[in-house]
Amino acid sequence: MREDNFYEKILDPNKISEKPEALKGIRVLELCNVVLGPALTDFLAEFGAEVIKVELPGIGDVMRTVTPGFFYYRNLSPGFEEQNHNKYHVAIDLRKNEGRELIYRIVRKCDVVADNYRPGTLDKWGIGYRQLSKIKPDIIYVACSGFGQWGRDALRVSYDAVAQAESGLMHITGFPGRPPIKSGAWILDFQTSITGAMAVVAALIYRKRTGKGQFIDVTQIESAIRMMDWTWVYIGLTGNDRDRVGNRDLAIVPSNVYRTKDGFVAIAAFTPEEFLGLCSAMGREDLKKYENPEDRLIPKVAEEIDLAISEWCKNLTSSEIEEVGERYGFPCSKVLSAEDIYYSEHFRARKTVWTLEDHLYGEVAEVQAIKMSETPGRIKWVGRPVGFDNEHVFVRLLGMSVDEIKSLEEKGVIGKWSDRKGSSPPENWDGKSGLFF
Amino acid sequence: MESYFEWAKSVTDPAKVYEKPEALEGIRVLDVSYGNFAGLFASSILAELGAEVIKIEPPEGDIARKMTPFGIKHKDTGLAFLAEGRNKYYITLNLRTERGKELYKKLVKKSDVVIETFKPGEADELGIGYKTLREENPRLIYVAISTSGSFGPHVKKMRSYDIIEQARSSLMYATGEAEFDPEVPEEYKVPLREGNWLGWYTGGAWAAYGVLLALFWREKSGKGQFIDVSPCECLLRHSNYFLQYYHEAKRLVPRSGPYDPAVFAYTVVKSRDSYVFIGAYSDPNWKGLTELISRPDLFKRFPTPKERLIFENQIEMKREIEKWSQERDGDEIVRLAQEHNLDETRTGTVVVGKVCTPKQASENDAHFERDILKAFNDPYYGKLLVQGSSFGKMSETPGRIKWLCRPVGADNVYVYTKILGLDAKDLKLLKESKVI
Repeated sequence: MREDNFYEKILDPNKISEKPEALKGIRVLELCNVVLGPALTDFLAEFGAEVIKVELPGIGDVMRTVTPGFFYYRNLSPGFEEQNHNKYHVAIDLRKNEGRELIYRIVRKCDVVADNYRPGTLDKWGIGYRQLSKIKPDIIYVACSGFGQWGRDALRVSYDAVAQAESGLMHITGFPGRPPIKSGAWILDFQTSITGAMAVVAALIYRKRTGKGQFIDVTQIESAIRMMDWTWVYIGLTGNDRDRVGNRDLAIVPSNVYRTKDGFVAIAAFTPEEFLGLCSAMGREDLKKYENPEDRLIPKVAEEIDLAISEWCKNLTSSEIEEVGERYGFPCSKVLSAEDIYYSEHFRARKTVWTLEDHLYGEVAEVQAIKMSETPGRIKWVGRPVGFDNEHVFVRLLGMSVDEIKSLEEKGVIGKWSDRKGSSPPENWDGKSGLFF
Repeated sequence: MESYFEWAKSVTDPAKVYEKPEALEGIRVLDVSYGNFAGLFASSILAELGAEVIKIEPPEGDIARKMTPFGIKHKDTGLAFLAEGRNKYYITLNLRTERGKELYKKLVKKSDVVIETFKPGEADELGIGYKTLREENPRLIYVAISTSGSFGPHVKKMRSYDIIEQARSSLMYATGEAEFDPEVPEEYKVPLREGNWLGWYTGGAWAAYGVLLALFWREKSGKGQFIDVSPCECLLRHSNYFLQYYHEAKRLVPRSGPYDPAVFAYTVVKSRDSYVFIGAYSDPNWKGLTELISRPDLFKRFPTPKERLIFENQIEMKREIEKWSQERDGDEIVRLAQEHNLDETRTGTVVVGKVCTPKQASENDAHFERDILKAFNDPYYGKLLVQGSSFGKMSETPGRIKWLCRPVGADNVYVYTKILGLDAKDLKLLKESKVI
């Protein structure tokens, strides 16, 4: 048990706020909407970057109204909340000349710009990489899109599910003889965002060494193609297509999801050691002849093993199987819902489920992915109303006078929220709480 | 003036990738992962960005080489491993022998990053965990990938598998055929995995992100660190608002198949020759879709999200859209939507994608033009179709593939000689004592 204590000590979730942040001092200008883009800067903000999110005055980011069944949490939509943490929210009309000038003033003080408008749009408005790099030559500019900043499909509009569809990923998801299934989440928005965030940090490392910025083009379709494991090599070598096979895995046997007495459990056991453990647990000595993992990949054998496991699981509860798995040394887990994770002592203790008392919204629960011992990520606050941080950013960062702010507001160059749900503060807001300036 | 698109292509032209520098040049990574594509993908990313990745396998090879569809191998290597073998050096080392551990520690001293996928606690039991190695090299960045992570009340001593990671992420629970659709047979109303190794690929991406953050931090502080990666937690981070919504509403998002609890139309419909995704959920875009399919009555009946977010209505709207889409081929629907979107006299934007099979996707020239699919000619494995680097379009330091893979232990001589200064006699002895 001493080992566990060591890692708990160096990763202690209660000491996160005492530790430094990897991206402290890096300022990011977010010119984005929806998920791909905002999630990218969110991943940077989690590790200390100062993200200034620019929205259109009034309604703001369209995700502010994306929520299951009209549910708002004190006027915050879960769809906006999920990829907007720790950011400063300003509202500028980018299509106006003075809006553009304002972006120039901000970008002088930034290290990174994230853009997810349709390719070429910001360039046309005078605030693309070509223009901004004249003002700030070492700027790192990441442009996010469905199909890329150039090429045959550059102008096509895309959502996450378009790339799921056109990459073939959707085709390989689902049961044979049944329709292809789109993922329950916007997985390519997030995967492209983490790809973009990696590219930005790689570019920051390069800039530190050379002083040079760069332009980065990341796309949904390419993230999908990149992560489709053996698909392309298989097609290239065999000429065969890849079809959907439900929860089975053609390259790992056993690896599947099985129905239990009270739910579903996932089981995998590829190494001989794990597989023999599973056979012993099931009392199936006869299957031990398939100790060699390669023998199990033969479809007939795979089917035989799969059948044995599904029969065995039927009469047990998921917890019973988990217990047996630990005893016999084969990996398995109940299929967890968000509810299971929310109440799990384990995920809470790791601060994977991260709760905090937000100044505007009260108690919120967020998700933290990786844990770093020296520069852990952290959640400080969640998405704020449209233009909520205008004064903070324009006065503190740009030194703008009260008169100038007022005049820009009157001209509609900058602004705040509208009455629309999801863009304005909570109904009982006192006019002060949560404001940084 | 040069058009934006010409300019964008000129600065990220795949033809010029190999003339440009690499962001992680000079960084050495040891990948001691075993049977785990989160580890392999993480080290692939770092290798694409220019790090020198040394893949350490036990003398009989990484079992990941055997994770291949139907057991198919090419030159004794599994197909998935060929996809994630890029730019790495392959050495063997038996970490369960004293001499093996000693050599490993020497390599660690001369490296920047370690990526491992041991069962939690196993590396320390062997005496080669972070606890020991950080003494040898305080600048070391150490990534441990495991399902439950390295600490917490329920640390599970098991190795990570994709299916388990997907099962523990909340995403599998929310993916699958619609629970509320009476036409779906009961046996299919079950949690569904994403068809690729999404759990591993998401975990691997976050592991590499952690390394990049830690490298950036180390430039400033001189300090290494430990990074604890649980792929299911990373995938939970990518699972929309499921957790937030549960906290706030104490409700779960149902498995919705071609429907969606928060936006509609956001659906997959049948065409004459394929399935097609159609997205048009804001009021103007939905109106545009009803114009495109000449069904203004649908807009009248379902004018706002209030009507469109009711599942029974979604089932009906999908059925009505299919009356139009089933009369047409998938490609035609994509073209009609594109024309609609570019015509300024028409309303809104209708976002459409044809559900291609992977083989159809592999026949799309656009992917080759942008270099995300390529027929790469490897010196040992020959010409293989592989995915390119998703970092290929960085203007100064693009990601790239240099070679695809190497056989087990193929770089023993090069690595042990160059880094540890061992000579031919030393290597012969190591081989005889089965250390390498």
